[in-house]
Amino acid sequence: MVYRDLRSFLTKLEDAGQLVRIKDSILPEPTIREIGRAATDLPNGPAVIMDNIKGMKGMQVALNVHGSWANCALMMGLDKNTTVRDQFFTFLDAWDKYPGEIKNIDSAKAPCHEVVIKDNINLFESIPLFRINKWDAACFLSKACVVTKDPDDPDNFDTQNVGTYRMQVLGKDTVCIQALGFHDIARHITHAEEQNKPLPIAICLGNDPVLTFMASTPINYDLSEYKYAAAINGIPMELTKALNSNLDIPANAEYVLEGEILPRVRVPEGPFGEFPGSYSGMRLQSIFKVKTITHRKNPIFENLFMGRPWTEIDYLMGLNTCVPLYKQLKETMPEVVAVNAMYQHGLTAIIATSNRFGGYAKSVAFRLASTPHGISYCKNIILVDADVDPFNLEEVMWSLSVRVRADKDVIVIPNTPGMPLDPTSFPAGMGNKFIIDATQPTAPDGLLRDTRLIDNPDSKGFEKIIADLQAAAQKK
Amino acid sequence: MKCVRCLHDTAAKFTEAPDGSGAWEVYGCSRCNFTWRNTEEQEVINPELRDKNFQFTGEPEDLQILVPVPPLKK
Repeated sequence: MVYRDLRSFLTKLEDAGQLVRIKDSILPEPTIREIGRAATDLPNGPAVIMDNIKGMKGMQVALNVHGSWANCALMMGLDKNTTVRDQFFTFLDAWDKYPGEIKNIDSAKAPCHEVVIKDNINLFESIPLFRINKWDAACFLSKACVVTKDPDDPDNFDTQNVGTYRMQVLGKDTVCIQALGFHDIARHITHAEEQNKPLPIAICLGNDPVLTFMASTPINYDLSEYKYAAAINGIPMELTKALNSNLDIPANAEYVLEGEILPRVRVPEGPFGEFPGSYSGMRLQSIFKVKTITHRKNPIFENLFMGRPWTEIDYLMGLNTCVPLYKQLKETMPEVVAVNAMYQHGLTAIIATSNRFGGYAKSVAFRLASTPHGISYCKNIILVDADVDPFNLEEVMWSLSVRVRADKDVIVIPNTPGMPLDPTSFPAGMGNKFIIDATQPTAPDGLLRDTRLIDNPDSKGFEKIIADLQAAAQKK
Repeated sequence: MKCVRCLHDTAAKFTEAPDGSGAWEVYGCSRCNFTWRNTEEQEVINPELRDKNFQFTGEPEDLQILVPVPPLKK
């Protein structure tokens, strides 16, 4: 886990056979989206770099950098064939090393400041922008680390927010940003607007893969994404100061767009093909003006293709949705052994837990539904026993098949908070909770008929022997 | 110039291919904020061929606001 920047990770991916380059001359639309879809559909799909895009000579686009379990494993310093369950527990161990160290780099020496553009800003001249999905309203920045500070608490490093939000490019120097009510950035916007002040913002594109990963992780408001990225990467997070504000930005970003969110202004935004696999509607959203663009020499524009799941965003929001939910549950319910909330940022989640007494697993579901993220997102909650791997859907379906009593173990709680981008949320922001308890009933709950499970023989030793024999057979 | 999405006369060209090749031009609408490149698929940039579900026929001020503008603090 030693990636200081996007470039060092791309080198690692290339060395591991997980990065390819498209050299053919291509049009930005529709070809880039076709390439993004193809890369993520392939088994262990690679990252793709395109550098021969018509009208954009000399510019580079990188897609699908996080877009397979192999790439995610390499990001965490693991062998590319590591199972998802093992990736979850590796991430969990690294998570506990918070806070990692911060290293401040002199602004004049920061790679992200190698090229500075302050006059005649034109985003289309600096960045190879493209329309991600066909009916998107414009070109979107979909994989940036967006940095803001709380104007009511401007010296607090930890409440400085680093988040990933979709941004629609409106013109040469204007960009619209989607903030939803429960996003941390919405607090900052609201505090600035209460004082009728512009809010400084930095859009950092092309970062080390762990920072990008943490920017889309639902952590508590007063915990620092930078310190988490440092903890998980195992090396200090290198930051520098923005040129026009007091914001701390990643010193090794490929691009940084600095600007200000205009107070008390909302403009039409969307639609945009979103993570549930459907288009969001049009809404009125905040707007910012770009005042400075800085970038590294020969910058790489990293963006995210997202289509009907699964695509890269499902990997990017997979394990980092699972781990914080697990940690929050574990604080009060130590019986929980693993959480798989990889489905559309946790809209569906599977929890493996011991059933301490009758009905206990259902209480675990209620706890999940009251975590900060779970309140809006976790609507379908499945409980399985501690000896079931929630990342193994065959085992989960087995539990549903043999451990669910529909009259006792299925609960619907109507009219709860919902996730506005979920197409079933109506009105947008309202929803319900659907709980399936697929754990074995425990006393005093009525026990299932006396059933004896088949014991698994001790087969681990033979797994390796057979796998080695198979690998040898495949080489013939 | 007419916007291909909201069909109001509120669109204009705002940039072109930065490498000077003349490969494409970009247009944008100041009313509904739709932007498009002249090299995109006809069903995206020709109003006659666009999917009606993705045309904008309403008024911008009627759109939903997800983060309300708060009262000013005194």
